[in-house]
Amino acid sequence: MTVTVSACGLTLRYGAARALDDVSVRLGRGVTGLLGPNGAGKTTLLRVLATAVPADTGAFTVLGHDPGTARGRQEVRRALGYLPQTPGFHPDFTPFEFVDYVAILKELTDRAARHREVRRVLEQVGLGEVRGKRIKKLSGGMRQRVALAAALVGDPGFLVLDEPTVGLDPEQRLRFRELIADAGEDRTVLLSTHQTEDVAMLCHRVLVMAAGRIRFDGTPAELAARADGRVWSSTARDPGAKAGWRTGTGAFRNVGDPPEGADLLEPTLEDGYLLTLDDDLAEVTA
Amino acid sequence: MRSWFARAWSGAALVVPVWRMLPWRALGAAGAVGLLPVALARVSGARPGPLETLVLVRGAVLALALGLAFLLDDPARHTTAPVPARRALRVALRAALVAPVAALWWTAVLLLAPGSGRPPVGDVTLEAATACVLAVAAATVALRHFDEPEPGRGVATTLLAGAVLAPLLLPARWALFVAPADPRWAAAHERWAWVLAGAVVVGAAQLREPLVRRPVLRSPCGTSGPSRTC
Repeated sequence: MTVTVSACGLTLRYGAARALDDVSVRLGRGVTGLLGPNGAGKTTLLRVLATAVPADTGAFTVLGHDPGTARGRQEVRRALGYLPQTPGFHPDFTPFEFVDYVAILKELTDRAARHREVRRVLEQVGLGEVRGKRIKKLSGGMRQRVALAAALVGDPGFLVLDEPTVGLDPEQRLRFRELIADAGEDRTVLLSTHQTEDVAMLCHRVLVMAAGRIRFDGTPAELAARADGRVWSSTARDPGAKAGWRTGTGAFRNVGDPPEGADLLEPTLEDGYLLTLDDDLAEVTA
Repeated sequence: MRSWFARAWSGAALVVPVWRMLPWRALGAAGAVGLLPVALARVSGARPGPLETLVLVRGAVLALALGLAFLLDDPARHTTAPVPARRALRVALRAALVAPVAALWWTAVLLLAPGSGRPPVGDVTLEAATACVLAVAAATVALRHFDEPEPGRGVATTLLAGAVLAPLLLPARWALFVAPADPRWAAAHERWAWVLAGAVVVGAAQLREPLVRRPVLRSPCGTSGPSRTC
């Protein structure tokens, strides 16, 4: 793997709470998923890597640039596309005007070339038809696509996406998956999400964060494999299971430590994720 | 070289979008609220004394300052946080675009203020400039220390509280809000100048985007998890 983003020992405190606790990670090209419960530190990690906030300690490089210096941070920002968790817009702007504004902020200096680039990204995210409509008149999914277009403008080498599919309907999510998969073809994409399905479908690698630390780093298949032999079916909810629910077939799907002779099932990424967090909690408690 | 050119070019290209995203509604309302009593006093033919005129002018200044508290409100703040165009450039551009409008408005206030009781123009202009710069400086502080994309309401509330409390709490030797006939008028305006200088320094200092990483007090190469790679 060619390393494009490398972070070492990132720590960031909010008061007494450690939002990031000695996080180290290396990313290469392709889409890397970042999973974790609320408050795990995912957004903080993304904001630090996007140079929106500095870490208290630690260092990182993006595409060979060190944001610890003013010049390095400028270079990182020139190579960066960032979609925040709650993107905001100037509602009276059209998608074209807003993305053009972001393109100016990204120092795309030639007006004609910039306008071509804005049209290209708006076409790419499927907003070519509505590029002259006011953002306030667009649906939530379309606004999210405006934010993605703003992140993509200037063809950044490192794309940071913070829960881009939240609040989207299934069709819009599929559309977003396509866009993110396309974006990951030739650049580094770090995708924070609560949707394990998105990670399973999109990512060649997944990181799991909890309590400000990276708890798992591997492929989606390796994360799912963590639940090998720990998912089983039963006719009633197994009281020994860490999680269990009735499925559409009427049988119960249980996750945890199965009893002797249990009817084992193929684990999913979600099972692996649940057990990783649970094992981690048990470790912390112990 | 590239950086200077890019910065200068970005500044020029940003003029139109930044002009459009200025909080014109808040500024317009504040300007109207400030101007209205002065205009009414003028058109009604009332002859307010110097103290009443000063109160009208200071009220207008306070209204404008409250409007300027919204100057840096930016709903797209998070979307545009990590971009190469520096925060200082964007703030300076907003201030530069609103400054001529504020100057025109201030000229109108002075022209409308009844001539007989009009306070010394230079001194009240210093007060007005201080209040406006203070408002923008307070907005830069909010921008730096809070995550809120539109901190204007909080900044305006704080300013209003400050404007109400300052005359009540400031000791006599630090008084700022004195009448033209008061022997402390000149000294008070020296203090206004100091406040203006302080606001400029604080505002400018807040525009720096910190790179600060506190010194690493331990080895950055301990292990914390499976992704530890250094």
